[in-house]
Parts: sequence; C-alpha cells; structure tokens
Amino acid sequence: MTKRQTRLFFIVGTALFALIFIAMTVDSHRQFPELTNAHLITEDVTEGKHVWHRKNCINCHTLLGEGAYFAPDLTKITQHRGEAYLTAFLQDPSQFYSDEVHRRLMPDPELDDTEIAQVIAFLDWVSKIDNQGWPPRPILVTSGPIGGMAGRSATDAVSNEPVALGQAVFNQPVPGCFACHSTAPGTAMVGPSMAGIGGRAEEIMASGDYTGSATDAESYIRESILEPNAYLVPGQTFSAGGVSFMPANTEDLLTPEEIDHLVAYLMTLR
Amino acid sequence: MRFRSQFVAYPYFAVALILFGLQMVFGLLLAVKYLGPDPIMSWMPFNTAKAIHTNLLIVWVLAGFMGAAYYVVPEESRTEIYSVKLAYIQLIAWTLMGLTAVIGYMFEWTAGNKFLEQPFPLKIVIVIVMLMFLYNIGMTIYKAKRWTTTEAVLVAGLALAAILYLPALITYNNYTVSIYYRWWTIHLWVEGVWEMIQAGLLAYLLIRLSGADREMMEKWLYVIVGLVFIAGILGTAHHYYWIGVPAYWLPVGGIFSALEPLALFGMAMYAYFAMRRSGFGHPNQLALHWTIGSAIFTAFGAGLLGLAHTWPAVNKWTHGTLITPMHGHSAFFGAYVMIVLAVMTYAKPHLTGKKDESAETSLGIWAFWLQVGGMFGMTLAFGTAGITQTYLERIMGLGYIETQFKIQPHFLMLLATGFIFTAGVAAFIIDFFRDPPVPPSGGAHERGEAEPVTP
Repeated sequence: MTKRQTRLFFIVGTALFALIFIAMTVDSHRQFPELTNAHLITEDVTEGKHVWHRKNCINCHTLLGEGAYFAPDLTKITQHRGEAYLTAFLQDPSQFYSDEVHRRLMPDPELDDTEIAQVIAFLDWVSKIDNQGWPPRPILVTSGPIGGMAGRSATDAVSNEPVALGQAVFNQPVPGCFACHSTAPGTAMVGPSMAGIGGRAEEIMASGDYTGSATDAESYIRESILEPNAYLVPGQTFSAGGVSFMPANTEDLLTPEEIDHLVAYLMTLR
Repeated sequence: MRFRSQFVAYPYFAVALILFGLQMVFGLLLAVKYLGPDPIMSWMPFNTAKAIHTNLLIVWVLAGFMGAAYYVVPEESRTEIYSVKLAYIQLIAWTLMGLTAVIGYMFEWTAGNKFLEQPFPLKIVIVIVMLMFLYNIGMTIYKAKRWTTTEAVLVAGLALAAILYLPALITYNNYTVSIYYRWWTIHLWVEGVWEMIQAGLLAYLLIRLSGADREMMEKWLYVIVGLVFIAGILGTAHHYYWIGVPAYWLPVGGIFSALEPLALFGMAMYAYFAMRRSGFGHPNQLALHWTIGSAIFTAFGAGLLGLAHTWPAVNKWTHGTLITPMHGHSAFFGAYVMIVLAVMTYAKPHLTGKKDESAETSLGIWAFWLQVGGMFGMTLAFGTAGITQTYLERIMGLGYIETQFKIQPHFLMLLATGFIFTAGVAAFIIDFFRDPPVPPSGGAHERGEAEPVTP
C-alpha cells in the first residue's frame, strides 16, 4: 500500500461511516417521540429536568444507567417509591438514612415543594421511556438481608395455588411490593417488614389504636393494600402528616384476583 | 528545540501539570467518600468534588494537547508560531475559564450535565479559546506553506474537537435527545478525534525517538486514524444502550465496539515495529517509556477493558456499575495522560536548556512506574468492585446500599492504589519543575530562521 492509498482508506472510511451515522440519527429522531412518550413532557417535566441539572444530581446518581456510581440508579424510582415518600425524602433525606447504618447519605438538596414536585414529575416521565426493558430486573435502593427473590415476573409462580401466585405478585416489578417491604423479620426498608404480618394484623386491631374498618386479619391486610391511609403503622419512614408513603394506586395496577392472591400470600407470613 | 516560539509550550505544560496535581487532590477525596462516612458532605458533597475532578482532567489534558501542538507544529512546518502573544493570551483565558468553572461548581454554578458541567458563558469562552488556538496554528501553517501528515492529523484532531464541542451548546427538553447529543461531544472526542490527536503525537514522538522512516510512519498513521473512525463513529452506539433510542443501536454498538480495539492494538503494534526497526537508541529513555507505555496502556485500558462491557448482553447487567470507571480511568490514563506526559518528557530537556540524556532521572523513572502501577491497581479495584456489584445488586437483587457496604474492601484498595498513583504524579511534577525553564536566546532565534537539520 502506498501513502496515497492509505489516505484514501482514511477519507473514504471516515466519510462512509459518518454518513451511516447521520442517517441513523435522522431515523432515531423519527422514533424519539414514540419511544420517549414526548407528548407526556409537560412543563413540570421540563422544569424538573432543570432541577435535576441545577442540583448536579447526575454526579452522584445514575439515570438510565448514566451518571456517577455513588448513589442509586433512579430510572425506575417512581415505580418503587410513591410520590408521598419521595416528597418527604427530598424535604429531608437525613430522616431516612443514617451515617452509622448506611455509611452514605444524601445532602439536603434544598428544594422547595414546587421543585420537588417537578423533579418527581421528571423522574416519573423517565421511568416510562421505552428503553428495551432495562434494567432486566429491578435495581433496588435497599433490600434488607435477602433480596434474591425480588423482581421475578408473575409467570415465575411455582404453581397455581393462590399463595404461590400471590408470592409472585409480591415479587413482580409492578407494583413492586418487595422494593419497600422486606419479608425478613425486623427489617424495615421503607415500609414495615412483612414478616409475621398474618399474626401481627390481629394484634394491631386488638391494640385499641386501630382506626380502620377491618374486622379480621385478612380484611385488615386487604384494607392496608387498597387504602393505605385507613390506619397508619407508626414509624418515621412509613408516613408523614397523616398520609402513608404507600402509593394508593395498587387497585389500578392489579386485578381483583391478583389482590386476592396477594392477601392469601401475606396471610401465610406468620 | 529549533524554533524560539516553541518555548510557549512550557507555560502550557506548567499549567497542565499544576491542574493535574489538583485533580489528584479531588480524586483522593472521592475515594475517601466511597468509604464513608463523609463529615464534609455539607460543603463539599460528592457531586461537586466529582465534577471538579473530571473537569480539571479535561482542562489540563486539553492544555497539554495545545501546548504539544505549539511545540510540534513549528518543527513540522519549519517556522515560528504566527503569534506567540496570542498563544499566551489564549493560555490565560483557558486557565481562567478552568478555575472559574471549578470555583463555580463549589457554589452550585453548574449545567449539571456529566462532563459538560461548564455553565453556558464558560462554554462560550471555551469556543472562543479554541478558535484563537486554531487561528494561530492555522496561520502558522498557512504562512509556512509547508505541512506534514503528522501535524495535519494532530491539528485536524484539535479542529474537530472544537467542532464537536458545538452540540454541547444546545439544550433539549427531551432528556433522551439531550443524552443522544451529549455523546456526540464526549464519545466522539475520546473515542474519535482525541485518539486522532494521540495518534498524531505518537507518530511525531516515534519518528523523533526511533528515527523511523517518516514516509512509512505517516502511511500507517492514516490506517490507524481510519480504523479509529470506522469503528469509533458507529461505536457511539454503545452509549445508546437503554436510554430510549431505537433497538437497532444495540447490535450496531456491539459490533462496532468490538472493532474499536483494532485501531488501539494497531497503535501498540505501530510503536512496537517502529522501535524494533530502529532500536531504543535515543538518549531520552524516559520519553521512550511514556511513549511506548501510552501505546500499550491504551490497548489495555481503552481497548481490552472497553470491550469487557460493550457487548449488549453483558452491558445489560453491568450498565451503570463501577465497571464503567474501571474502563474510564485506565482508558483516559493510557491514551491521553500518558501521551501528554510523553510529549512533556520529550520536550523538557529542550525547554530547560539541557541535553536529552538529562531527562532520565531516577525520580522520573519512579514517576512512570508509580503511575503505571497505581493506575493498574486502581483499575483492578474498580473492576473487582464492579464485578461484585453486578453480581450482588443486578443478579442477586441485593439493594444498592447493602451492596456498596459489602464492597468496602475494594474501596480501601482503590484508596491505597490511588495514593500510589498520586505519589507518581507528585514525582513527575517535582521532576518537571526541578530544572528552571530556559527561554531560547537570540542565537536560537536566528538558528530558527535557518533550515533545521533533520534528526
């Protein structure tokens, strides 16, 4: 090969692949609106994106897996934590994690309530982007000691028994019960541990503090799933201002049968 | 040094090295924060320190590139630089921009976009400085009416680096679209035009250090740079995994990322054959260390370790874990830090009025091995942390916080090897500043007017 030929190789090669790249870019632009649900980019989402940038969140967290690796990935955070929880967390993160236990804290982002709502709207929009199903299984912020079962799909149920189906519902990515509730005794992640809930439900109702309208353990668990505010279990990270951090939209995410299975499963945890 | 104006490279190198030292301070701080707890979180949180760490790198490496260009271009075009004054003004503006950015980050003045945190007014300053630089270099070559392939590749790389910064000036409401174009700057810099700059500098150094035949070296330079772009342009696709772009970017990313190491291994072979043909006879052995080291470490850090996680089926699990900084640190060090230090080491005797032999000090050799060893250890620390994180967090489903706690021993290793690396950086800086700069006298200037002797 002569120098002239290698120069030609460089110029033609570069030009050719640059052209292919530009053609793919044009086609990607054609598909962006659908893949990213561009019609859902409201003013709040845009403002929330500005908050995200202004507070330099990307240099600790990852979003869509990009960023720094010092804090949890937030791609699907709004599917794992309800708005009430995220609002309370962003108002004062020090209430939720401690230096002694977790070693890594988030500084107070110093956001007002409007900014908090905006950044949550932004993160919620991100969580709905069609990104080829990544992550392949949920990335949890915190898991308690055993997280091995979390995030399997409902089809992973070992049998058609209601309890087995209910366990699969508990572990499936949506609504993602496992992301906040451990099944290990004494492990409160965000919500209370589900260990022993079948027995504990009766104790709670017998305690005299109980404010809901359930009559037995089973109806108590059902009520807690569908109306989280009917009775608030005391705990710093469970609720604030009389509102539970548990999202109240579970009824929209699951069929009545799935809720029956879930209750059946939780009743077995004694 | 054959031309008086080449001396302007010295202040560029000096500024670059001071900022390199400062970058290490923040790097160590970040490693300590990984271990936790963090008592200074309220005034120097991780995100601020990290933005400063990465931005100092970009500012000093680019200062090093520009200094290197001011050193190389007069020799290649056999002329004085068009305007030495402009080169100084440019350096002052660049340094002030860098320092303003760093101080700004401490007060939350940031664009909050990874690597492109520079607030908009500073981005404009960057563009202006780049234009000043390109004008100065362009006029130098234009007036000389003589250019070599080596310098053309170097200068074209720098010009394209400036052009590719322009997408960073535009913002988009759609986060996916803004990430899409952010990579036009970042990826096409570090896996495209910066490699072009590296290849140009490598060719220059190999020609000078080995005395290899220029025609031969420049012929293969085109092949290497061609391979860089053929693989690198579509290799951008590996940054488009899982961010909301069409699915066809996945196979494209897998295939072209797998081709990317070709050019990098090509560079290592290039150095090897140049040396085998012409021998290690050059008296500046330390510059040889850095030059060959850069070619080899690039093949390892950028090539091999990049390939370790660009295949989509692998990346699906490792995306967003500490595997990324494993590759990032070793790639940046091998490709860009080492090549800039190579040019500095090569030029140093000429800038301090000494003989080539003087460059090989024992402190200089220590600087080389401490940096190479330290960076290798840091790469292992990030890698082992990343593998464990992928397994526990992504595959076993353990929470992020629990996982980070379990990989603390790797962070200890990161801190320890980080100290070794920093010791190497300190040794390099001390070694560089030990001999005072000696600006060329009038005689050298006259000698510069004359036709230089080929080495």
